[in-house]
Amino acid sequence: MSASPKIVITGRGAVCGAGLTPGEIWNAITSGRSAIKEISSWDASRWPAHMGAEVCGVDNRTLVEDRKLHKLLSRTDLFGLYAAGAAIADSGLLPYRETLAPEGVPEFNDRSGVFAGSGGGNYRSNYDFFPLLTAAGGDPQKFGNELNDTVNPMWLLKILPNNVLCHVGIRHSFKGTNACITNQCVGGVLAVAEAAAALRAGEADRAVAIGHDTPLEPETVFHYHRLGLMSPETVRPFDQKRSGTVFGEGAAAITLETLPQAQSRQATILGEFLGSGCTNEATGVLDVRPDGDGLSRAIQAALADAGISAAAVGMIVAHANGTPASDAAEVQALRRVFGDDLPPATGFKWACGHLIAAAGILDLVLALTALREGVIPGIATLDVLDAKLAPFPVSRLPQKPRSNIALILCRGFAGMTAALLIRGPAPLAN
Amino acid sequence: MKTRRRVAITGIGMVTPVGNDAPTTWQNLLEGRSGVAPIRGFDASGFPSRIGAEVKSFDAAAVINDRKLLKFACRSHQFALVAAEEALRNAGIRPEAGTAPRWGFCVGAGMMGTSFAELEGLHAHCGKGGEFDPQGLLDERFPADPVAFCRSQTNAGLALLTRHFGIEGYATAVHTACASGGQALGTALKVMRRGLADFVLAGGYDSMLNPIGLSAFCLLGALSKDNETPERASRPFDATRNGFVLGEGAGFLVLEDWNAARRRGAHIYAELAGDGNSLSSYRITDSHPSGDGPIQSMRQALADAGLKPEDVDYVNAHGTSTLMNDQSECAALRAVLDGQIDRVSVSSTKSCMGHLIAAAGAVEAAVCALAIRDGIAPVNANYLRPDPNCDVNLVRDKSKPLHIRVALSNSLGFGGSNSSLVFQHPEDVTIA
Repeated sequence: MSASPKIVITGRGAVCGAGLTPGEIWNAITSGRSAIKEISSWDASRWPAHMGAEVCGVDNRTLVEDRKLHKLLSRTDLFGLYAAGAAIADSGLLPYRETLAPEGVPEFNDRSGVFAGSGGGNYRSNYDFFPLLTAAGGDPQKFGNELNDTVNPMWLLKILPNNVLCHVGIRHSFKGTNACITNQCVGGVLAVAEAAAALRAGEADRAVAIGHDTPLEPETVFHYHRLGLMSPETVRPFDQKRSGTVFGEGAAAITLETLPQAQSRQATILGEFLGSGCTNEATGVLDVRPDGDGLSRAIQAALADAGISAAAVGMIVAHANGTPASDAAEVQALRRVFGDDLPPATGFKWACGHLIAAAGILDLVLALTALREGVIPGIATLDVLDAKLAPFPVSRLPQKPRSNIALILCRGFAGMTAALLIRGPAPLAN
Repeated sequence: MKTRRRVAITGIGMVTPVGNDAPTTWQNLLEGRSGVAPIRGFDASGFPSRIGAEVKSFDAAAVINDRKLLKFACRSHQFALVAAEEALRNAGIRPEAGTAPRWGFCVGAGMMGTSFAELEGLHAHCGKGGEFDPQGLLDERFPADPVAFCRSQTNAGLALLTRHFGIEGYATAVHTACASGGQALGTALKVMRRGLADFVLAGGYDSMLNPIGLSAFCLLGALSKDNETPERASRPFDATRNGFVLGEGAGFLVLEDWNAARRRGAHIYAELAGDGNSLSSYRITDSHPSGDGPIQSMRQALADAGLKPEDVDYVNAHGTSTLMNDQSECAALRAVLDGQIDRVSVSSTKSCMGHLIAAAGAVEAAVCALAIRDGIAPVNANYLRPDPNCDVNLVRDKSKPLHIRVALSNSLGFGGSNSSLVFQHPEDVTIA
């Protein structure tokens, strides 16, 4: 069996409450600024959970120029399209395609994949049926009769979970292998893992992987709060006073290429995908195992996939969502793998909020910058480390990675856990 | 050709509009019996299209002995639990303490989470004036049901099934509209080849037969309005076809390592031999008239399986019974099968069971496996008037005995995702 090629990262894009580019987000984080504020998109002043990391003051035209699309797409799709466009622009793939002979273009397009981690349906779209429900007044026949006069005929298209996949394909003429993963928090991370697997298997030469989500809407905040998962204040990962998570919104994306492809077009290589792992804890929708079993197996699987030892890992971007149970289980899982030799760790949800399907891939984009800068940003909301978790190498202050390899952790509903390993932009061995 | 892991299909389970288990479904498909009828699950009398392919007389509790679990399951999750249980029983193997981490789970999941009754409840508290008022949620009379909320999460079905069956390995849910089920099986095949799992429970489930789901497709004008002749409404490739019929259901397959399945003496229906996957990148609902998109997915799937058009004996077409899909798919088949087009038998089993949306690809994969096992190509029902633009070798009038070496199944989705799967007769699988 021929050895599979190395997979490199050649473009990135991100948008969240902390900024419109990876650079802006990075600057906010390293300045200790959190985007978590009082929710402004509805009046949440009476709400027990009233905080969020919203993307404020950004015109839809800034996200997606084509105004016709604004009616066809949900806010989450606009974020996804924006981040994907930014990652593709950053990679320089489109100008490169222009240089190809015309007969080479269809092959280029057919060998370009798209992998999206989508938050799936949002609750807001359902409210488009409220005027009809009001008009029907409980009469089902009237509901059917007045449907066409009341609801946008394109309604279904607006709620398709695979909209970003579709429109990234149309806008950039990417026509290759694809997936739209609707697996809640781990969606974006699995999009990266599946894109990399497709490139390794020779199914495509390049792919864009995207995660996008807008969990910050009233029903979600309301129910998460009732389930005891939301903080009334802010995200304080691993802190003794941590009280839950806070939602953000946005998207992140990367372009991946096989190393030979990237080299042949002299692309700037931002990092290398090393490996991934994904497991399930079989605990149902809400619960996580307190011993971190699934997460430790995911990390072990990622290490095996990358062919490296735990000792080679230079830094950890933890899921760090600030809920008492998840943070504690995460530390357990890391101990199981690393013993007492834990590399320095951090998390970014204190600054960006929890982006659910986009969370892990945003962490990946930021980890690339951390490795390039040789700086692991501190957690500005961490006052006192929970004694039950100590010792655990997180800090308010910046730390230094002990190698150019980062481990990114992601977990979500349904007992899902996933881990990614990337190498930073040091010179790559061929 | 590089050696790769071979993947056996050893278990099948189905809940469909023509049967609540695999044997009943298969028998009815072979006999060309329609599962389409006037919608009974809710009052659809005001809709332009009032017919559907509903799952009938379904009782999940008769198969899944866990009342608490079923409380967390919406209608489509219940289909999934029952079909998956049947598939595992049929395979004669299931996750155990030692093997659970080596079991994977890949599913094409439906897009609708909130039930109509829940939406009506929400409307009563938060939307009486027609606009959504979030403050209504804080009303203490609002029945804030955490179970209903959990049911509505995108991976709630995955959560229920992995927990119930104790699956602890790679798990994923995908959604590419009508291609979802096919892409889930394609993902499962790759997960097996990558060595991430030794067994995968893979399939799809969906139910959009509710007022909102029916509305969504009525608004797009995609459904047949043959309300007076429901059993004839789905007639893929027929010149008079006028839209698809919305169905519901679930299909699951048990996939396992070929050699391991042989060693334990399992019955192998077929090899899941190849997966092809493309994006049309044309328009969101339209398929390219040339078949561009599905052409690539079919070619990839055959190449992935190391097979050629000459090897294919049967195609289970996407065949929705819409003007555009059927024409475009036939153009694609013509391009891919080229000189073989008149020899290869083609049928769409949607002619009997309607369109199961996210479950379609998985159910139709099960159909291909059964067609290979029994040496029979199921009928394309309701085909009377040929369409010159759909000039393929359809299985007309009745199901046709046919030794099927290789079957190909297409699932083509809104949004332009195309999935093609290739299945091979077990006797033709030679392991070097």
